[in-house]
Amino acid sequence: MRITRTIRALALLALSLSGAASQTAASRTVSAANAFLSTLDQKQRQSVLFAFDDHQQRVRWSNLPTTMVPRAGLSMKDLTAPQRSAAMALVSSALSPRGFEKVQQIMEGDELLKNGQRNSTMFGKDLFYISILGTPSAKDPWMLQFGGHHLALNITIAGDRGVLTPTLTGAQPALYTLDGKTVRPLGQESDKAAALLNALDESQRKQAVLGFRLADLVLGPGQDGKTIQPEGLKASAMNERQRAMLLDLISEWAGIVPESSAAARMAELKADINETWFAWSGPTTATPGSNITAYYRIQGPHLVIEYAPQTLGGDPALHVHTMYRDPTNDYGRKFIAK
Amino acid sequence: MKITEGVLAFFLLTCAPAPAHRLDEYLLGTLIAAEKDRIEAQMTLTPGVLVYPAVLAAMDRDRDGTISNTEQRAYAERVLRDLSLTIDGRRLTPRLTSLSFPAIEDMQAGRGEIRLEFRADLPPGGPSRRLVLEDHHLERIAAYQVNCLVPSDPDIRIVAQNRNWSQSLYQLEYTQAGVRSGAMSAAWRYGDRVWLGAVAFLLIGRFTLLWQRRTRMDRAPCAGSAA
Repeated sequence: MRITRTIRALALLALSLSGAASQTAASRTVSAANAFLSTLDQKQRQSVLFAFDDHQQRVRWSNLPTTMVPRAGLSMKDLTAPQRSAAMALVSSALSPRGFEKVQQIMEGDELLKNGQRNSTMFGKDLFYISILGTPSAKDPWMLQFGGHHLALNITIAGDRGVLTPTLTGAQPALYTLDGKTVRPLGQESDKAAALLNALDESQRKQAVLGFRLADLVLGPGQDGKTIQPEGLKASAMNERQRAMLLDLISEWAGIVPESSAAARMAELKADINETWFAWSGPTTATPGSNITAYYRIQGPHLVIEYAPQTLGGDPALHVHTMYRDPTNDYGRKFIAK
Repeated sequence: MKITEGVLAFFLLTCAPAPAHRLDEYLLGTLIAAEKDRIEAQMTLTPGVLVYPAVLAAMDRDRDGTISNTEQRAYAERVLRDLSLTIDGRRLTPRLTSLSFPAIEDMQAGRGEIRLEFRADLPPGGPSRRLVLEDHHLERIAAYQVNCLVPSDPDIRIVAQNRNWSQSLYQLEYTQAGVRSGAMSAAWRYGDRVWLGAVAFLLIGRFTLLWQRRTRMDRAPCAGSAA
């Protein structure tokens, strides 16, 4: 029975990959979702599938480890190797190559955290959960959730449109070595922000740098549907080069999804750019090769991004939380509203 | 305090990398919504693992290791008492409108969030207003974060938010269109009417007594002169 399911899954996976070139990103994700579901037994399917309007499941995400804030769905440890491959193929199909790489690096970081904590049962790659809300469809909206400690991807797919908000990415350690290579899962988010701050003149910096400390995310988990008053430097007071740098920084989150969805999202955010704000709190310099230890926020009519280094653990450069929201379209509510 | 700092330093030095939960701070996040006649706020309070004993001591008054409904309410009221809230220099009284407490084990583990909501009715004011919030709750361990929400009333426009470094002091300046200087909010108008009515009632009573006394004196025989 299990072998039959595996063969069927591999066949579906091969089929979905062979037809990938002719498919849109959304239909590729639907194929990958069906391939993953076909590997599961009835009990597992019941665990992984939720009604599209299951609000409780929709908001069941956090930056905290899954042992602290339990998630629902199927954890990676509940899956066989082929099922796990199919699950990761599904996640990969819903993301850009760079987005998927970022997710893998966050998971690898958690595995290192586990090893550094004497195989703590709180951390590790096994403790990431996958769930599907609704029925994977090329027409009707459905949702893919994937997350665990420092990761919450909430991807609503409505036809050709993919919405990534709200999504939380984080990293601990946010800088590590793997196979001889230095890895910083959120390194670009740090470096591009520092470069933008350095590109501002004195008067712009005075507006951008806030005179108070921010200890954590303001609009993190549990703060859906809220819009705070923007602060800092408005991009209308930036020059073209600075605005381009700001958009490039934003693309670190908007570009987590495949190119077609990312391009539409970036076009929306580019149109808003003069109404977008950049605010910074904390040290304005960073050790070369390391992450910034400052909080920053980018906020526009359709965007909230927060980058919040955490003091717990000693070095804030090694522990980061980030939040990505669209106050008008979290969970794709704009596309699914009747 | 020194012992706490010592324990904290030891913990930080010996646990690398540190666990994922909040550790040595009590995060007090406040989101403020300004309306013409009131201020509404939501507070999210998250005690870190190392400071949890201090927070528990403030909540668990009978030291039985649990936080009863009465203790929850008393603690929530204490949090509000530790706030100083003024509008245009006039003191406001925040009223608790909702509270929710997590399980004690969740707080112990650094993942529990206490959520409080309060409201303060505003006295009449002009087109420009200044709200000042000072938070003194458990200052030695607190990390404050105060923000105002984008107003739902299009007549209200946020002009500035100012804070000290720790955000224990927060000032919000905003304007409101369609409000005349000295206009009264419904609640305050109602409150003033009650007050004016009470004063009028007392004055009428006093006048009635004086009138009756005077009438009696006019009618009474002049006893003093008779003696």
